[in-house]
Amino acid sequence: MSSREQILNTIRANRPAPVELPDIHAPVFVHYDDPHQQFSTLVETLGGCAVYVNEGQSVLDAVKAHWPDAGQGRIVNLLEGNNAGQSHTELQAQSQSPHDHQNVDIAIVAGQLAVAENASVWVSNANLDCRSLYFLCQRLVMVVPRERMVHTMRDAYAQIKIEERGFGSFIAGSSRTADIEQSLVMGAHGAMAALVVFV
Amino acid sequence: MHDDDIKHPQAAAEFLQDRPHARWHDSAVWWVRKKRDAQAEKLPEWEQLRALADQIKAHTLSRLDEYLAEFANKAKSNGVTVHFAQDAQEHNTIVHGILAAAHVKKLVKSKSMLTEECGLNPYLEARGIEVIDTDLGERIVQLRHERPSHIVMPAIHLKKEQIGELFEKEMGTEHGNSDPTYLTHAARANLREHFLTADAGMTGVNFAIAETGGVVVCTNEGNADLGVSLPPIHISSMGIEKIIPKMEHLGIFTRLLARSAIGSPITTYTSHFHQARQGGEMHIVIVDNGRSAILGSSEFRKSLQCIRCGACMNTCPVYRRSSGMSYSYIIPGPIGSTLGPSRDIKKHASMAFACTTCGSCSNVCPVKINLHEQLVGQRAKAFDANAVPRLKKWAIQTAGFMMKHPALFDFAGKVQRTIIPIVPEALLKNSAWHKYGRATPDMPKDSFKDIMRKRVQGDKK
Ligand code: SF4
Repeated sequence: MSSREQILNTIRANRPAPVELPDIHAPVFVHYDDPHQQFSTLVETLGGCAVYVNEGQSVLDAVKAHWPDAGQGRIVNLLEGNNAGQSHTELQAQSQSPHDHQNVDIAIVAGQLAVAENASVWVSNANLDCRSLYFLCQRLVMVVPRERMVHTMRDAYAQIKIEERGFGSFIAGSSRTADIEQSLVMGAHGAMAALVVFV
Repeated sequence: MHDDDIKHPQAAAEFLQDRPHARWHDSAVWWVRKKRDAQAEKLPEWEQLRALADQIKAHTLSRLDEYLAEFANKAKSNGVTVHFAQDAQEHNTIVHGILAAAHVKKLVKSKSMLTEECGLNPYLEARGIEVIDTDLGERIVQLRHERPSHIVMPAIHLKKEQIGELFEKEMGTEHGNSDPTYLTHAARANLREHFLTADAGMTGVNFAIAETGGVVVCTNEGNADLGVSLPPIHISSMGIEKIIPKMEHLGIFTRLLARSAIGSPITTYTSHFHQARQGGEMHIVIVDNGRSAILGSSEFRKSLQCIRCGACMNTCPVYRRSSGMSYSYIIPGPIGSTLGPSRDIKKHASMAFACTTCGSCSNVCPVKINLHEQLVGQRAKAFDANAVPRLKKWAIQTAGFMMKHPALFDFAGKVQRTIIPIVPEALLKNSAWHKYGRATPDMPKDSFKDIMRKRVQGDKK
């Protein structure tokens, strides 16, 4: 008998009495009066920042306003259309392997959804051949339409489709660690800084 | 790397030799518990979340075979190769087989208690594969040839000066510099090289979704993500109990995990892997290693609901004062103290007694495991299996006998209250009290029973 069958058989033999699956949608969960305010305040404590683009401003302008030194390093911009601020998607042109993102200073990617309760953004980019970009870049910019804001993770999962792209992640702020004496340090392995741009 | 011969009382006594360090450990861990409280208080639905998580997990365990089969089939249809391993040995063989077939020389790993449980690192290293743990805390203990002392904060038992010295030796950092930011960024640069040159990446699993056949991995550092998105081979190992039925249930668990673990509203990265990266391959190894046997025990099966947040150890007064190094099983603290003895009562009996039965662990557990009750159950098992030291066994038997004979108990109390005050201090030198530098307490005049009786009569008057 295969290990699969053996394990499943033991489980079958040891199965507890049936327990009902609860209705997770029944309880009322927290609701923020101003979810954008909640998001913006919280993301700062997580090593990130939220900004809003003004009329006529492009995402790239917003990024440059936030990081005046932007443009000195390599920027990869995955946005399409008007918000991109530049028309090319550098990624397609240049990357042969996921390792090629190694020297990316700023990555600008689309975020599909923002979650107020924990300041995370759901990213799952259809154009992204190499998911390593999210994690290898030094600074990560996630661009989210302002109306795509939900209150809690329950609302978020009701809206996303995981299987579509094979990969997706909720990213909240910058990579961080507190493994040395519980001192919080921003910039562990992933992006050292994160910016959420609401358009 | 870990030692099954550890006996908790002796190991804890050793840890307590260095009083200032022990005190620091206690407060460092307690601080995390307080951060957890602050997060829990921010959500009015906190207790509802715990109740839902408990019910979802209990439901899943009651149909675990069906959900596992659903998960495996779905993952397969996503193009993922699924393996089943009955025990640690089979797990290690499977992982090595995947790596050997692809001529992997270097593997980058993110934190996984399961691979620790299976002893994967030494197994692969003995077969010529370099294994790099990439979670900072895990890397620190790997370089020190230690095991993690905590399931979420593997290096919580170390001071920054110890880490500074270690990094100076291993990575050539500045002499005497133990600034956490400096050390973290030095490790970042060092590990980035390993990420970029690894041939395969491996992660543990926080949640596996039956409905979609994918796995979810939560880290703050992004090491799991980097580790599996660069090399062409991605392996995830999971215990059979990691399954949840549907994707929507993540809307409950991802709200509880990081808040309970580190007092943060979420981990920086909550990544959902359903397919290999382009041009790569993905494997999932599903491991039993004794879990299906625990499922058969009505007394202890609830321990399989654990989502490995570590909250129970952060709150445990015994863990905080004895450190994870004092426990014989790879998972320390309250949850380890029921999982360890469930596996092998003879080896891990002392863990079941590393508990004051204060119940704090059960109160913080996000999936409502009755930890302190399980530990009492494990003690009974240890007693029956003859895994309790002779003196302790004798003391428990005596106490049991006294409890069953109230008249004798009253009499013994009276004798004690009369005798102790007139015994010379010198004779008590080796008693449990004096050994730890305490003075003999003053004996009360009346027994507790007498005091209560008087009080009740007083109330009636
Ligand atoms: S037993 Fe509960 S509190 Fe302890 S690690 Fe598991 S889920 Fe967390």
